[in-house]
Amino acid sequence: MPVRQHCALSTGLFLLALVLLLGSPGLAHAESDVEGDPNAIGHSANGYYLDVMPIGKIELPRLLLTRHADGLSFDVYGTTKEALQSGRYVITDGEGNVLSEAEMQYAIDQKKHYNFPLAAASGPGIIIDFSITRHLLAVFLSALLLVIIGLRLGARYRRGIGREEAPRGVWQNMMEVLILFVRDEVAKPAIGGKYSRYMPYLLSVFFFILIGNLLGLIPWGVTATSNIMVTGTLAAFTFVITQFSGTKDYWRHIFNPPGVPLAVKPFLVPAEFIGLFTKPLALAFRLFGNMVSGHLVIVSILGLIFIFAAQFGAGVGWASTLLSVPVTLFVWMLKFAISFIQAYVFTILSALFIGMALEDHEHEHHEEEPPEPHEALLEQAEEYVPGDGVSTTERPTPQPTV
Amino acid sequence: MTILLLLQQVDPPTPSLLQVDAGLVFWTAVVFLIALGILWKYAWGPITEALDERETRIQESMQAAEKALEEARKIQADNERARREAEQEGQRILREAREEAERLRDEEVQETRERIATMRDQAQDEIAREKQSALDDLRAEVADLAIEAAERILGEALDQSRHRKLVENMIEELPQN
Repeated sequence: MPVRQHCALSTGLFLLALVLLLGSPGLAHAESDVEGDPNAIGHSANGYYLDVMPIGKIELPRLLLTRHADGLSFDVYGTTKEALQSGRYVITDGEGNVLSEAEMQYAIDQKKHYNFPLAAASGPGIIIDFSITRHLLAVFLSALLLVIIGLRLGARYRRGIGREEAPRGVWQNMMEVLILFVRDEVAKPAIGGKYSRYMPYLLSVFFFILIGNLLGLIPWGVTATSNIMVTGTLAAFTFVITQFSGTKDYWRHIFNPPGVPLAVKPFLVPAEFIGLFTKPLALAFRLFGNMVSGHLVIVSILGLIFIFAAQFGAGVGWASTLLSVPVTLFVWMLKFAISFIQAYVFTILSALFIGMALEDHEHEHHEEEPPEPHEALLEQAEEYVPGDGVSTTERPTPQPTV
Repeated sequence: MTILLLLQQVDPPTPSLLQVDAGLVFWTAVVFLIALGILWKYAWGPITEALDERETRIQESMQAAEKALEEARKIQADNERARREAEQEGQRILREAREEAERLRDEEVQETRERIATMRDQAQDEIAREKQSALDDLRAEVADLAIEAAERILGEALDQSRHRKLVENMIEELPQN
């Protein structure tokens, strides 16, 4: 216990030093405005730049599918600035009013132009904005890391390590724990017999979300999963897979629920139908909310330092670090735990939805029943090895599976 | 200056956390699908297959080991039983041999004893016979001597056969021994 306290203390001190080192220019000219607004939303929202602290903000490429006055075109620019300077795009104030040439130039000078919505200078306008945003970069990075990890791990198994012999090393064992967890605690109980068909998806989604979550915890990291579009896309995959796995029985239970009075059906069927979409929506919003909230809380608590500095002077700002930094550390650790928990929650709910769609209600309305007692006994009986009276008593009693 | 003052009021709109972005959805879907495809073929497929294979093999080898142990126990029990049977057989043979020997010895003794008895009987018979013949001889001798003595005494030769009859009658009257 004292060791752990010491550890936490030294980590806290390290973080404090980090804040002092990196935060000092911030304290000197207190972020963007005089109130010391940490701009928590701006930090958490998507953007067309990367915020790399000592270097500054790096603009990201813009890829735009636009219908100009002269026709459809796919425009590629290295930066938002280039897009504006090409004359084919303008920025608006978010309410449909195009900023004037001078205002645009001023925004570019102030390095604020990438915060304004982009619009086509002429014609019907942008159809789809394929621009590389920072959340998209996080998606790319997560996927890249996942593929690298997956390929390296897969190569080990194909070489025979873990197949013919025991898995070696912390890395492989740790990954195997997670993979087996997804298989034995998520896929098997939730989906049942046909679980292996869905394993690649469940594993991909689990590790993709996990890596995405964890990437947001490292300095300069961006959380891909704190974007509702990303979580929504993943939830959409679950939705599609669920519907394509749906048995006849599943659809019958939605559009013609058996054992329900006819008078109730007009109310129940729409509710069931809406339920099809609320499940993945909840999936998307749960992950998004969990990830964005942690981000907002961390930025806000650290932002208190700058607010105090702006409101009451730098001295108070410095003093508030004594509170803000430990609280941030605590929230950070919470987020670390949540990263795993939410990856698990998303995966197990996906698996449950798929499992529900696959289920064949052979005995009507008894699907929630626990396994028959004799089946459990049978399982125990299979565990029992006859012939040796001593070893069976020493054998740990089989745990009931969830 | 006035323009600049005006411009400062043009602040970027607060970004929305729920910004709809079709491009991001497209990219995410594409990237995720590519990752899923690669991982399916080169990572999760081989890995889950390897894990299943490993588990099956471990299960099988455990079962095989248990079966082997079972078999070894059975063989051991068989051996034990065979050994015990052999021991019993050996003891039985030994006992029988001892009994046989005992019996043979007894028979031998009995036979010897019988033979000795027979020999003794024969010897006794022989002795009795010899004694009888000796007595007969002696009797004849005595009769002759008596006759001779009587002849000398009487000096007169009596009828030989009558004399003899007389003497023999006298001898008959003598005690046997």
